[in-house]
Amino acid sequence: MKKIFFLTCLLAMANVLWAQDISITGTVTSADDGSPVPGANVILVGTSTGTITNVDGQFTISAPADGTLEFRFVGLETTMVAISNQTVINVQMATSAQSMEEVVVIGYGTSKVKDLTSAIQTVKADDIAKAPVAQPMEGLQGKVAGMQVVSSGAPGATPTVRIRGIGSYPGSSNESPLYVVDGMFFNNIDFLNSSDIESISVLKDATAAAIYGVRAANGVVLITTKAGRINQKAQISYDGYYGVQVAQNVLKMANSEQFTNMAMESGSPADSMYILNAMQRYGRSTTNPNVPEPNTDWYKEILRSAQTQNHSLSLSGGGERASYSLGTSYTFQEGIMNMKNEYERFNLRSKVDYNATDWLTVGGNVLISNATTYAPQNGAWHTTYYAVPVMPVIDEQNVDAWPSQYASAEDLGYRGAKNPFAAMDYNENLTKSMKVNTNFYAKIDFIPRKLSFKSSYNQAFTNYNQRNVGLPYYISNASQREESTLSKTASTFNNIIWDNVLTYTNTFATNHNLVLMAGMSYRQESGQWLRAQGLNFPVDPEQAWYINLSETIPITGVGDGGSRQYGLSYFGRASYNYKYKYLVYATMRADGSSKYQEKWGYFPSIGLGWVLSEEGFLENSDAVSFMKLRASWGQLGNDKIQASDGATTTTVVNTAIDDVLTSGTLTSSTYSSLKWEVVEEINIGITTRFLENRLSADMDYYNRKTNNAVIRVQVPMTGGTTMKNVGVIGNSGFEFLLAWDDQVGSDFSYHIGANLTTLKNEVLDLYGQQYIDGGQAEFRQRTMVGESLLAFFGYETNGVYQNADEIAADPIAVDNGLVPGDFRYKDQQAPGEEGHGVINDDDRVILGSYFPSLMYGVDFSLSWKNLDFSAQMIGQNGAKILNRKRGEIIWTNDGNMDADLAVNRWHGEGTSNIYPSSAGLRKGWNQKMSNYFVEDGSFFRIQNLQIAYNIRNWQISGAEMPHIRLSFTAQRPLTLFQYNGFSPEVANGVDRQTYPIPAIYTFGLTVNF
Amino acid sequence: MKLYKNITRISVLLVLMLSVGACNSVLDEMPENTKFTEDIDYTISKNAILPLIGAYEQFYAKGWPNNPLMSVRGDDVNAGGLGDQQDFAETDLFNYNKDYWMYNGAMTDEMRVIFHAHSTMEQVQLYKDASGNPDADQYIAEAKVIRAWVLLFITRTWGSFFIPTSSDPSELLVAELYTKDEIMQHLSDQMDEAIPELLDLNPNMRTDIRGGVTRATALAIKAIANLELEKYQEVADATGQIISSNKFSLEPDFYELFKIPGKLNNENLLELQYSDFGQGEGDRKAYLYAFFGPQGWTPKIEGSQSGWGFWEPSLTWIKFMLDRNESIRLETSVLFTNRGISEIQKDANYATLPNWISNTTRSGDIVNDYPRAFFASGKHYLPSDQLTPGRKPYGSNKNFTCIRYAEVLLMYAEALTQGASGTAGSADEAVNEVRTRAKLTPLSGVSNQDVMDEKFAELAMEWGTRFFDMVRLKKYDVLSYEGRTFTEDLIFLPYPQAQVDQLSQLSNPPAN
Repeated sequence: MKKIFFLTCLLAMANVLWAQDISITGTVTSADDGSPVPGANVILVGTSTGTITNVDGQFTISAPADGTLEFRFVGLETTMVAISNQTVINVQMATSAQSMEEVVVIGYGTSKVKDLTSAIQTVKADDIAKAPVAQPMEGLQGKVAGMQVVSSGAPGATPTVRIRGIGSYPGSSNESPLYVVDGMFFNNIDFLNSSDIESISVLKDATAAAIYGVRAANGVVLITTKAGRINQKAQISYDGYYGVQVAQNVLKMANSEQFTNMAMESGSPADSMYILNAMQRYGRSTTNPNVPEPNTDWYKEILRSAQTQNHSLSLSGGGERASYSLGTSYTFQEGIMNMKNEYERFNLRSKVDYNATDWLTVGGNVLISNATTYAPQNGAWHTTYYAVPVMPVIDEQNVDAWPSQYASAEDLGYRGAKNPFAAMDYNENLTKSMKVNTNFYAKIDFIPRKLSFKSSYNQAFTNYNQRNVGLPYYISNASQREESTLSKTASTFNNIIWDNVLTYTNTFATNHNLVLMAGMSYRQESGQWLRAQGLNFPVDPEQAWYINLSETIPITGVGDGGSRQYGLSYFGRASYNYKYKYLVYATMRADGSSKYQEKWGYFPSIGLGWVLSEEGFLENSDAVSFMKLRASWGQLGNDKIQASDGATTTTVVNTAIDDVLTSGTLTSSTYSSLKWEVVEEINIGITTRFLENRLSADMDYYNRKTNNAVIRVQVPMTGGTTMKNVGVIGNSGFEFLLAWDDQVGSDFSYHIGANLTTLKNEVLDLYGQQYIDGGQAEFRQRTMVGESLLAFFGYETNGVYQNADEIAADPIAVDNGLVPGDFRYKDQQAPGEEGHGVINDDDRVILGSYFPSLMYGVDFSLSWKNLDFSAQMIGQNGAKILNRKRGEIIWTNDGNMDADLAVNRWHGEGTSNIYPSSAGLRKGWNQKMSNYFVEDGSFFRIQNLQIAYNIRNWQISGAEMPHIRLSFTAQRPLTLFQYNGFSPEVANGVDRQTYPIPAIYTFGLTVNF
Repeated sequence: MKLYKNITRISVLLVLMLSVGACNSVLDEMPENTKFTEDIDYTISKNAILPLIGAYEQFYAKGWPNNPLMSVRGDDVNAGGLGDQQDFAETDLFNYNKDYWMYNGAMTDEMRVIFHAHSTMEQVQLYKDASGNPDADQYIAEAKVIRAWVLLFITRTWGSFFIPTSSDPSELLVAELYTKDEIMQHLSDQMDEAIPELLDLNPNMRTDIRGGVTRATALAIKAIANLELEKYQEVADATGQIISSNKFSLEPDFYELFKIPGKLNNENLLELQYSDFGQGEGDRKAYLYAFFGPQGWTPKIEGSQSGWGFWEPSLTWIKFMLDRNESIRLETSVLFTNRGISEIQKDANYATLPNWISNTTRSGDIVNDYPRAFFASGKHYLPSDQLTPGRKPYGSNKNFTCIRYAEVLLMYAEALTQGASGTAGSADEAVNEVRTRAKLTPLSGVSNQDVMDEKFAELAMEWGTRFFDMVRLKKYDVLSYEGRTFTEDLIFLPYPQAQVDQLSQLSNPPAN
């Protein structure tokens, strides 16, 4: 009950006198040319009272004599002026650079950038909106140092986001950061439109994130949705784009001639027979009669150019006491796979803030998001790789096929139909989702500008309706579905968060500035789902796609599940500085959770800052405008770890006894008892501004260590594992941010920025286990101490045997019956060592990690009169990709392959030292997991190019016309990489059926009324 | 002041809110959708059977690689060529790879069945203690028999091993290894414990769990364990007891024995049960027969799926059968392809084959040529016209037989020809009962070699019986067939590396 006592003490401080209000007038001008600034916001600090400057830049406001006014205008640096009994205040506002006075959103409050001791990077709405993408997080790619965004080409798919590496054993989506949207917790923000967002703050280090306790370990992304302002004239704006998505870097496959050549060289009688079958069935090519007539470019067949569009309309403003913001948006994105795969989202939002009395502010916001996703058949990307070019898409001779006469490679003798259209045409996976996020709050100012209390209630309701349909078809024996299948899942999630926060701000003895915050939070997360299946339902019409119209409803297809978890937290923050020179910042959160057997966790953090530029030796420096050293330490929790039973459980199973489905029980003998993971993080940074804030440079070093990472501990002889909090995983690296802003004359300004991140992901302990195996047995990924999580693990190739002499000279080659054109693997044991002279599993080594060791982004923008232009480039180095498309020849050795492999194969001495021969490709020896399949995932990309023309201050017949902005955007027009695949962006590093990422070209229109 | 009033009101509200928040009881809420073992009411007597059904469920849900890996090495069967699962084929060639996933997969999956059998014994015991269910001892005995069958094969395959005693796998961390002979004796003793508790019925006569374990099952396992120990008198006694019980008989139609009519047949002592419940769609429990099936076929019932081609009767065995003028068992055991037929004919001695040999089965399915193998297994084949209409997967609704009465008869004969005395008739009678069904002429004065040949002919492609027989009789020359060389050090597969890494005992096993 200490907390209540503390609160009561604070309440007692409300016993103070109100200061006297005076009337202040003034003019706001631009520091550059002295012209008046109309429409600037003038706000009394610590309140939502404010006004707006008129056409001549003039304002009048009533405010306490000892208050402070804040002046804000887009593009100009926010300026603060203490009133100190002045009745006339004229302000010159400088062009904004990376402003130190800028206020950023932090957990349960706000702070000025200059007062921070932590690593927080904020991205503004304009910046996010530049990328014409349906997922706001995708727009952040390459913009935030330390944050990796791996986009997905599939319509509606959420990008993979990792902040400062990954501190948890990969899987079960435990790597994504916490998203906090106006106070509500989310696992992703796929329901938001970029136009709904005012700003995004990425909390990277411990002092920034630790206030979110058990949810903070993967970093926190704070999203503030758009709001109106007091005394702001109504602003109506339309923003939209329409464009087209085009597949980029389409993987070039072997054509019929190359494929035939490979088949003939393979030495496999079956493969040459299939070619003959193809010539018999479809005829011979007129240009080369030894090649079958069809020459199908399958990727071309399954690709299309796809449209994308986004329209948003918003209205915001405010009067004396109330402010409002309303908006609606519509997004539509098709997929570039030639089937019905698309994403459609319709959003409505409204936010109202109302100063009910001079001490009470209430407000609320509601955001409704409705989305429909038709998912692509990603398997088709995989099937297409193996689809043989000697076969057409449609085969009129395949008379048994229905409803379409698709060709089947089985008719030529191949194993499987190898035609991707079956999967694409006869499956439909639909998800309808609705999300309602509401937030209501009341804020009481007990002591104006000093002590306030805010209680907010957030509720997010999500409803998913999934319908997966398989339609009947026949292509050939291996590709058919006789009965239609229908599977439906309905799930609802209802999350509630109730926060109560008390904030106290004061300055003592002029120089001691203090902010205290104390709060509690109650959390409830519940969900339930119900699933059922139906077989043989009426295929026509779509309105009959219901389970109760199905002929059979299998019992095993019925599932029911639910979960409910509670959380209770107490947290506090103290932020103190002396003369804005020495900064101390500390947070503490106690988190209680019903998810684990252990209920309470405590997450402290502390940060220190030293603003050198406030010291005498730098105070009047022309070169250095601002310089701050920062250091922080803290502990963060990760409760994305699955709930564990903590005791043995008994489940119901059924089996066939005498042709009757009979139920029994299974009692487990092993169980997991888990708790949250704790990440300990150290951050050391420096923030600097030079040359009148025109040059900014920030640098951070981070070191994160998960001390009790949940890992799988093998249970002997079960093949199973139990999970234990016993691993140690480290992530460390540097982040650099550099920016240069300048204005040359009144018409021309430009900006150049760059960011760079390094990452070292390292497993530090595995509870004494030598390794944890992951991935599939044939494509082993191994987690070993001293290496990255799930690193690729296999043999190192050492060229290709070129001739019989080389074979004869190598006992390994002789023992294994190798021939020229086979790989030479590196014998990892030195002569004399045990295992030397044989190639076996002991010769496998770590071949690389899928985490990039270096990521960078460069952006450039310039504005000249009414024209503006911007460009963004991004890239990464050090990541490896497992090319499983090539690798899976191990299971399907009669399929097609990419042209690079077909052309550059070994086919005689000296022809290749990296690829085996066609016959070799089919041999087990050459199919071992090796660095031949593990390729470099480095890339450089022009991420975004935008050119825009502004029409401002124009009139028709004397009537003021709106500000119009016309833009053309090219998103991802060029990507350079070496990898033999569609796209080097593969979230988990295993490319089997990755949806390629298209280039997007759009025309955009913005109208501000 | 009005403000004061408000503040007072609000502070009361605040205190209330915080005290609500301070109520921590919500943190102790139980998780949804979970049934904890500690909540089970063991006094409900009728529920004692539930853990036993669970043991059968685990037994029937055996992984598909287990049986192939443990039985591929004999001269009756081949792995069906390279090109996929190379190390499975290498195992057939006696080149073992301790790192190959199938070794670890098969061993751990078999052990899963054992741990669950123990769990069943423990759970049933709790029911017995709390409810006094009179059948509890029988249920425990059944779980023992399931455990014994699984441990028998693990030991036959890997040699020295653990003797698990509870459902807790972590006990193995400190457990010691026993030699193969010690484990075989343990299994024999376990069966002695189980036999008096079990029902003395043909499994198909059971009414509680039809097709479940009975006394004969335990006797047969006891016989096999003693066969491994070369204690032939024990073998003769156990098998003799089954024969004298007169509860079993051979299915007259050998071909149909391995098809739907073979389900819960009078001949079966133990089988894994599967079913599609007579429905053309919906629920289905099945074994992955596709692994054994031909890779390409033109089924009589269009659309029926083919197999993967990993189980190929050897040329050695086919020629052995042709030499014996066998037709019934050869036809039943082999699916011929045209490519396979010409492969046999390449040997001048077999240039002319009986007319009935063709790539069309008796049931009308046409087996097409496929690259991986020349032949597929007929015992693992279910004709497409026996599939429940609507079902496509290869072999759907077919049971997997573990112990047949034919094997019991032949074990009896084997024991007698090894010098044991029997009370259930002569070795001749036992062998001839099997031969008659195969439409072969009776023998008289059978030798041990005659019995072993009969076992080869009768039990080929099933459970590796041939390999284990030849190993026991040290006939390594027989196993050195079709280019292979078998030596004594190749009897057991190496322990999977993944287990050696966890259980240090495995790096230093006692000699077998």
